[in-house]
Amino acid sequence: MIGVELRKLFRRPRTWVTIAVLNALPVLVAVLVQLTDLAPRPGEGPPFLSAVLTNGALFPLAALAIVLPLFLPIAVAVVAGDAVAGEAQAGTLRYLLVRPSGRTRLLVAKLVALMAFVLVTVLVVAGVGYVVGTTLFDAQPVGGGTSVSGTSLSQQELAGRSLMAIGYVTVSMLGVAAFGLFFSTLTDSPLAAALGALAVLVTSSLLFTLDAASPIAPYLPTRYWLAFVDLFRDPVLWRDVVRGLALQGVYVGVLLAAAWANFTTKDVTS
Amino acid sequence: MSSVIRTRGLVKRYGRLRAVDGIDLHVRAGDVYGFLGANGSGKTTTVRMLLGLVLPTAGEVELLGGRMPRAGRRVLPRVGALVEGPAHHGHLSGRANLGLIDAAGPGGSRRTRRARIEEVLEQVGLGGIDRRPVRAYSLGMRQRLGLAAALLRRPELLVLDEPTNGLDPQGIHEIRDLLLELNRGGTTVFLSSHLLAEVEQLCTRVGVLDRGRLVLQDELARLTAPTGATVVDTPAADRVRAVLDGRVLGVDGSRVVVRGTDPAEVNAVLVGAGVPVTGLALQRPTLEEVVLAAAGTSADRVEAAR
Amino acid sequence: MAARGRGASARWAAVGLLVAVLVALPSVVAALPADDADAPAAELRAAVLASEDVGFSGYAVSAGGLALPVSERLTDVADLFSDRTLMRVWWRGPAEHRVDVVSGAGETGVHRDPGGTWTWDFEAGTATRGTPASLALPAPPDLLPAALGRRLLSEAADDELSRAGARRVAGRDALGLRLVPADAASSVGRVDVWVDPASGLPLQVEVFAEDADLAALDTRFLDLDLAVPPADVVAFTPPPEATLLTAPDTEGLIAQAEERAPDVRLPRELAGLPRRSFEGVPDAVGVYGRGVTLLAAAPVPGRLAGGLREALTASPDAVTDELGTRVAAGPLGLMLVTPPDGPAYVLTGTVTLDALADAARRLPGAAS
Repeated sequence: MIGVELRKLFRRPRTWVTIAVLNALPVLVAVLVQLTDLAPRPGEGPPFLSAVLTNGALFPLAALAIVLPLFLPIAVAVVAGDAVAGEAQAGTLRYLLVRPSGRTRLLVAKLVALMAFVLVTVLVVAGVGYVVGTTLFDAQPVGGGTSVSGTSLSQQELAGRSLMAIGYVTVSMLGVAAFGLFFSTLTDSPLAAALGALAVLVTSSLLFTLDAASPIAPYLPTRYWLAFVDLFRDPVLWRDVVRGLALQGVYVGVLLAAAWANFTTKDVTS
Repeated sequence: MSSVIRTRGLVKRYGRLRAVDGIDLHVRAGDVYGFLGANGSGKTTTVRMLLGLVLPTAGEVELLGGRMPRAGRRVLPRVGALVEGPAHHGHLSGRANLGLIDAAGPGGSRRTRRARIEEVLEQVGLGGIDRRPVRAYSLGMRQRLGLAAALLRRPELLVLDEPTNGLDPQGIHEIRDLLLELNRGGTTVFLSSHLLAEVEQLCTRVGVLDRGRLVLQDELARLTAPTGATVVDTPAADRVRAVLDGRVLGVDGSRVVVRGTDPAEVNAVLVGAGVPVTGLALQRPTLEEVVLAAAGTSADRVEAAR
Repeated sequence: MAARGRGASARWAAVGLLVAVLVALPSVVAALPADDADAPAAELRAAVLASEDVGFSGYAVSAGGLALPVSERLTDVADLFSDRTLMRVWWRGPAEHRVDVVSGAGETGVHRDPGGTWTWDFEAGTATRGTPASLALPAPPDLLPAALGRRLLSEAADDELSRAGARRVAGRDALGLRLVPADAASSVGRVDVWVDPASGLPLQVEVFAEDADLAALDTRFLDLDLAVPPADVVAFTPPPEATLLTAPDTEGLIAQAEERAPDVRLPRELAGLPRRSFEGVPDAVGVYGRGVTLLAAAPVPGRLAGGLREALTASPDAVTDELGTRVAAGPLGLMLVTPPDGPAYVLTGTVTLDALADAARRLPGAAS
C-alpha cells in the first residue's frame, strides 16, 4: 500500500516539477549574491546567507532557510491537499476503496508518502544547495566550519548537524502535511484542501508576530520552524528543537486522528 | 443456490430525502442480475452501499456471506467492480494503472501480476495497447480498461454500473459476449443499467428500482412469460373477428390479439377460414412494458406544483 | 442515522477527548502548586548576595516594556529594555562566564575571562576583545535574573523587604522576596525577586512601576542546571575567518568626555537623594540615591542636547515646560534640562517625574 502511494507520487511529473521549482529560488539567490557580492546585512535576510560568502558549504542551510518560510510549506500543502481529494476528484478513490485498501491504511500510506515527499524535497534542496554553494563560493579550505557560537566544527560534526537539520526541517513540515491531509478528507477539491492548509499557515505566521497572541504562540505550528538554526549553536540548544518535534508530533497525531474519524465514517460519493 | 448479494431493509437518507428506501435485494450465485432504474432512482447509491463506499442509514448488506462494510477486507477481494464510469491516473499507461490497483489491496500475488494483467487486457480487447498514458485513451478504451481492472482478480462477483457506456455497437456486443462467457464460468454478474435492451439481452433476473423503492424483482423469463394470447398479423383484421368471435382481445391496425396459447391452432383455424396470415406469435410482454407498468413516471421529471 | 451516526460520534468523541487532554496539559502543569518555605526575607537576601560564585548554566528570557526615547547611537541599549531577549548562560564565577544572546538567525556571545571579554557576533563574523570596565552601558548579561537580582537587592534595607509567597520558575520552587523602596522620590513600585532557596540564585526578577500591575521588566530562567559548566564551553578562541576587533577603551572615552565637559559643580543632594561616588564615574556625572532608587545627572554639550531634545519631544508622553523636557518609560524617568543660561543637563533614573522636576530646579544655573 505504502509502496503504491510512493510509486504514484514519484511517477507523477508534477511532483518533480514542484521540486525543481522549489530549487529555483535558492539557486537564483546564490547567483545574485555571487554576482553582486552583496550578502544581506547581519540581522536581515535568511539565516546563514551572510555567512555563505566566506563558506560556501553553508549554502545548503541558507537554501533551506530560504524555502522554509513559504515555498516549502506551499509545496507540501499542495501535495498533501491532493492526497485524498485528488483521488476523489479523479474518481480513483472509489476503486482504491473497493479494491479494498482499508480507509485507515490508505490514510497512513498517504501520510508516509507525504513524509517521503518532504524528505526527498528537503534532501534535493540541500544537495542542490551544496553543489551550488561549493561551485559559486569558496568552501572552507580546512574542512569543517564555524558554529553560530563561534566555535570550530569538524567536518563530521558539520555533516552530522546538517543531517539533523534536514531531519528537523522534514519533521517541521509534517504539521503542514497533516493539515493538508485532514482537509483533503473533508473536501473533494484538492485546491480547497491546499488552500485550507495554507490559510492555517498564514494565520499561524501572522499570529506569531503579534504580541497579543503571545499566550498561544508556543502552540502555533510554525513557532519552532527556524529552530534548526539552534542545531548549529555550540553547545546545541535543544530546547526549541525538542519542543518543535513534540509540537509537530501533537499536530500530526491530532490531525491524523481527526482525518481518521472523518474519513472512516464518510460516504464516498465521488 | 446460495445468495451472493442480500440486503434487508436497506435505507439511505440524505437529510430529509430518502434516496434508498427499504430495499431487499436478493442476487443468487450464477445470476446475471439486471438492476434497472431511471436516473436518480437510487441505483448508484445502492451499488455504493453494496461495496461499502456509502454507509447505510439503516438496514444491512450481505456480500458473499459477509456483513458490509465490516467484512470488506475479507469479501471485497473476491468482487470486481465498475462504479459510475472508469477512473485512472491519466499520466500513467494502462498497464501501470492496473499494476497499481492490483498492488493496492490484498489477494493479488506480485508474481502472477504481469501475466494476469496481460490476460485481462486480452479479455477486454486491449491486448495490443502501447505505453501511451491513459489520458490519450478514447472513452471506449477507458471503459474497457476499467472492466479489465474489475476482472483482475478473477472475481466471483462482478458489480458493474453502466458497463457499456461510451462503447460503440461492436464494443457493446463484445462486452456482452465476455460477460456471458464469464457467467458460464461461474461468475455472478450484477449489472446496473438504465438501458432496458441491454438488460433484456443479458440478464436472467431483474430488479427494478423506482424512487428508492424496489418495485419488482423476479426472473426475466417469468416477467416476460407468454400471457396466454397469440398475436396475429393479417391484412384482414375485421375477418379475424368474424372467424374467431369471442376470442379477439384487441385489434390494432393489422395486429389482432387472440386468446389462445397455441399459435398453430389459431393459424389452422384462420387459414381454414381463408383469412391471410402474414405473421403469428405468442404474445409476451416486453421488459419495457413490465418496467413501465411497475414504475411510475421518470424520476428526473419535475411536476409543476398546483 | 443509526449505523453511521454511532460510529462517527464515537470516533469524533475520541478525537475531541484527545484534543481536550492535550490543550489542558500545559495549564495543568502550570497550575502545579509551588512549595513555600519558612525563610525570613533578610536571610533570603543574604543568600542571594552570596550566590555570585554558584556555578550554573541555563536559558533565560528577559522582556521589557520600557520604550526608551533615545538617540540612534543607543538603540542596542533601548532594544535591551523594550524587547524580548533570549539568553543562554554558562556561569563559573563573576570573572568567568559566557552569555549568548540568541536570535532567530544568529547570536552574540559575550565570553568573560579574568583578562577581559570576547564578544562574538556571528552574523557580522567579528570577535571583539574588550577590557573589563567599571562603568559600561547596560549589556545583556546584566539582565540575567541572577545578576539583576543581586544588583537590585545589594543595597536594600531590611525594612524594605518582605516575603511574597512562592511560585514555580524553571521547574523549581522559588521563594518570593519583595522590595518596596522607601524613598519618596522612587518611581519603582516594587521589585519581586524569586529565589531558589537551595542555591540563593534569583530565578526571576520583576520590576514594577508605581501603581502598575504589569511588570516593566521581567527576566526569568526558562531552564536552569545547577552544575558548574565545563571551562571549555565558557572559553573562547576566535575562529580563523573571524574579523578581530578591539573594543573602544571606555575609560579613555570617559576621560576624554570629562575634559570636554562643561565645568560645573553638582549639588550634594537632588530630589531628596544624597550624592554618592562610584569608582570610574567622572566628576561631571553625579549619581544620587541608593538601591533601586537612583538618579544620574550630567551636563551635556550643546550639539548632543539638540539631538536628545528631538528624540524626547517625539515621544507623545513628553512634558515640556520652562525647566525642560521630561518623559517616563515605566519606572525610568529621563529629562533634558535646558536652563536659560549655562549648560544643558540630562537627568535620568528610577525616580518620578515630579522628583525629576524638583531635581532640575536645584541644578546650577537652573530656572527656579
